[in-house]
Amino acid sequence: MTKAAVYRTRLRPIWCPGCGNFALLDALTRRVLPALGIPSHKAFIVSGIGCSSRIPGYVDTYGFNSIHGRAVIIAQGAKLAKPELTVLAIGGDGDFFSIGAGHLPHAVRRNIDITCIMINNFVYALTKGQISPTAPHLERGEGQFLSWESYPPVDPMLDMVSYSASTGASFIGQGIATDVPHLSWLIEQGIKHKGFSFIAVLTPCINFTPPYLFNALREKASYLREGEVIKLQEAAPEDSWIHDPSDIRLALKLAQVPLLENPLLGVFFRGEEKG
Amino acid sequence: MLGSYLQKVAAQQGYFSQMPRYYGAQIRGGGSAVKLGLDAERLSLPKDNPDILVCFNWEKYFEFELELPLGADTVVLQESDSSRENILLGEYFRVDFSKISQEVTGSSRNKNMVALGLLMGILAISNDGGGKADYQGLRMSKHHLLALEAGLDLFGQLSFPDLRLSPAEDRADKVVLHGNAVIARAAISAGCRAFFGYPITPASEIMEEMQQGLSQRGGVFLQAEDEISSAALALGASLTGVQPMSSTSGPGFDLMTESMVLASAAEIPMVIVDVQRCGPSTGIPSKTEQSDLNHAIYGGHGDASRVVIAPYDIEGCYRLVMESFDIAQYFQTPVILLSDQWLGQTLVATEYEFLTKDYPIRERKRPTGRDLGDYHRYQLTDDFISPMADVGSEGLAYRTTGLTHDESGEPAFDFKTHQWLHEKTWQKLRPLRKRDDLAVVFGKEGSNKGIIAWGSSAQVVLETVKDLGLQDEVKVCVPELIHPLPERIERFLKSTERLLVVEMNYTGQLHRYLRSQSELPEQTYTYTRPGGRPFSMKELAEPIAEITR
Repeated sequence: MTKAAVYRTRLRPIWCPGCGNFALLDALTRRVLPALGIPSHKAFIVSGIGCSSRIPGYVDTYGFNSIHGRAVIIAQGAKLAKPELTVLAIGGDGDFFSIGAGHLPHAVRRNIDITCIMINNFVYALTKGQISPTAPHLERGEGQFLSWESYPPVDPMLDMVSYSASTGASFIGQGIATDVPHLSWLIEQGIKHKGFSFIAVLTPCINFTPPYLFNALREKASYLREGEVIKLQEAAPEDSWIHDPSDIRLALKLAQVPLLENPLLGVFFRGEEKG
Repeated sequence: MLGSYLQKVAAQQGYFSQMPRYYGAQIRGGGSAVKLGLDAERLSLPKDNPDILVCFNWEKYFEFELELPLGADTVVLQESDSSRENILLGEYFRVDFSKISQEVTGSSRNKNMVALGLLMGILAISNDGGGKADYQGLRMSKHHLLALEAGLDLFGQLSFPDLRLSPAEDRADKVVLHGNAVIARAAISAGCRAFFGYPITPASEIMEEMQQGLSQRGGVFLQAEDEISSAALALGASLTGVQPMSSTSGPGFDLMTESMVLASAAEIPMVIVDVQRCGPSTGIPSKTEQSDLNHAIYGGHGDASRVVIAPYDIEGCYRLVMESFDIAQYFQTPVILLSDQWLGQTLVATEYEFLTKDYPIRERKRPTGRDLGDYHRYQLTDDFISPMADVGSEGLAYRTTGLTHDESGEPAFDFKTHQWLHEKTWQKLRPLRKRDDLAVVFGKEGSNKGIIAWGSSAQVVLETVKDLGLQDEVKVCVPELIHPLPERIERFLKSTERLLVVEMNYTGQLHRYLRSQSELPEQTYTYTRPGGRPFSMKELAEPIAEITR
């Protein structure tokens, strides 16, 4: 029987106290891996470069802290060569949606059975606060975005869930670092899903984004539950949506819901599995 | 097609041949040319000036004039409706290729088969010496055969000069293939079961052959979204214990650089084949050059160790792929195999035996039972090579990284570990300097006049030395392992008083590299120029004769 302690290495994380990456580490080592009973040697975690990409060093499975943007590629190479492995690709928003964005549609269309976890901290944090593709577009003077004070983001943010849905990923989910049990459940679902799974984790950087961003996300967040009405801020009661994760049209509509105003957590879409 | 058929028919009669292919940027149709050099005795190079030129279109000919220069004795067979009046030096014949094709097959499209029949007649390439060849296995259509027969008949009707070939010394069938196909075959024989590529001229044939080869053997094949990915996929596959390969040409090799450097830092075996073409940037994609040596040896940031190997002939394309896999596995290093367009796409008819040779490929050093429970991926050993566990092996889970790391693979950011890691990744390759067998030397070792040439250019150098009858005057060194440099090459360089370095690039990349590795004689000369056309023997005769004076 696999136990939680089995999955932690002796390395001390470099992350700041209170960082959402600890939530992912906890989810993986205390819940997901033990719950699924995946032995250390059967799991392979490939990461890119960035804060969250340090995670392989802290999880006692096979691990590779590789190249910025290339985790999802290296993960596919390993899975193709050794299908019995459980392969996770972990990285940040810069990794997956800036430097490595070109690889995602191809990972999606190949639908190789790997689980891709994107830690969305809305910023380049390891390099001390530069604007990332998921950084919210703000009016000048709004919030305390350290290095963004003088030069706030001018381009609209890239919504990763919307992107995944539009490219037809076979499993799309979104969790939040403040709810580890839900995040763990989501990752388990992703790993169990036979095909390419994309999971975004909302966790604004506690150093380089204004505190209100995380607070707002947490307060406004609502959960998607199969068969239940989806809570939408703007929607009139008559066009309420009942959540059905197998409906890609609904997933595409949900992907259009603005993240900052109406963060949705759960399984957006679960398509057919590979035979 | 004409060239390929003639080469195959001749190969069935036992003739050796090499047939470089010349083509431009057209997608379909357009001008193209081949130069087929048949030899009854040995694998040689086509002569500078052809004995026979078949020309369907003079306008197109002049696109390839530098590749196919006419000699004073060249017999020209030209399409009779050719618009250009004769400007030729030698003998020429107007032949109704199109008209005859039209008459016997209802279309002028089979004119090349008429030409094939005529050439077979002129060269007397046939089973019985009487004009009938064995067409088995050539998969010719009915129309092809009709046109071919008409061409053979034509031979009897016109009076051509006697250009009959002497019969092949060994009539046994010769196998016909190009370097790209040989590289793929060798990779499969070496045990490569994972290939990742992206289409690029002139390397795509390797990918296509690997797709076919691996699908028959249950291997992993993936055409990636770009070369960044094809190299990174290979890294991922390699960690699980398979032997991966990726192939490309210059622009793709640029993109593979980040993975190559990571493979060096994290000690992950991988083989990258670069079929060089004219650069920089898009350059001339369909023509040969030797200008990626700098990138292969020095490319990428940081001091990334790696191995660079370059075949110079078709046999080497096989043997050195084997060596590349062996070295990559054993030393846990990226190996770059530098081929070139000439080697990759020239169709060669030769004895098949080299394709059946067994070369022992050493396994990776893997952890033993003793390592269970206390496994250190980068454990320091006497030979600097640490046991490498396959991802998925029980009890040996480890983490690796492109970050500077210690023996256990954990990130470190102190000077001492950083220094140690450099020592480890560079020292482990030192035994390769003893690989004297990967530096071929021709001629008398005692001679103090030497030539050094690499890749396909070396073939022209060797042929020119032979042609000039200078085999006893000058020795020729062809480095197959270029980096690290075998000691034999250093000895060769030090034993010469006059040295000539021949290579097809503008800046003399090998020459500069050799200077960085060894003392060169005071009288060192170079013959370097960019690609765009192959070296000719006439071109090299002068510089070669010069150093023997």
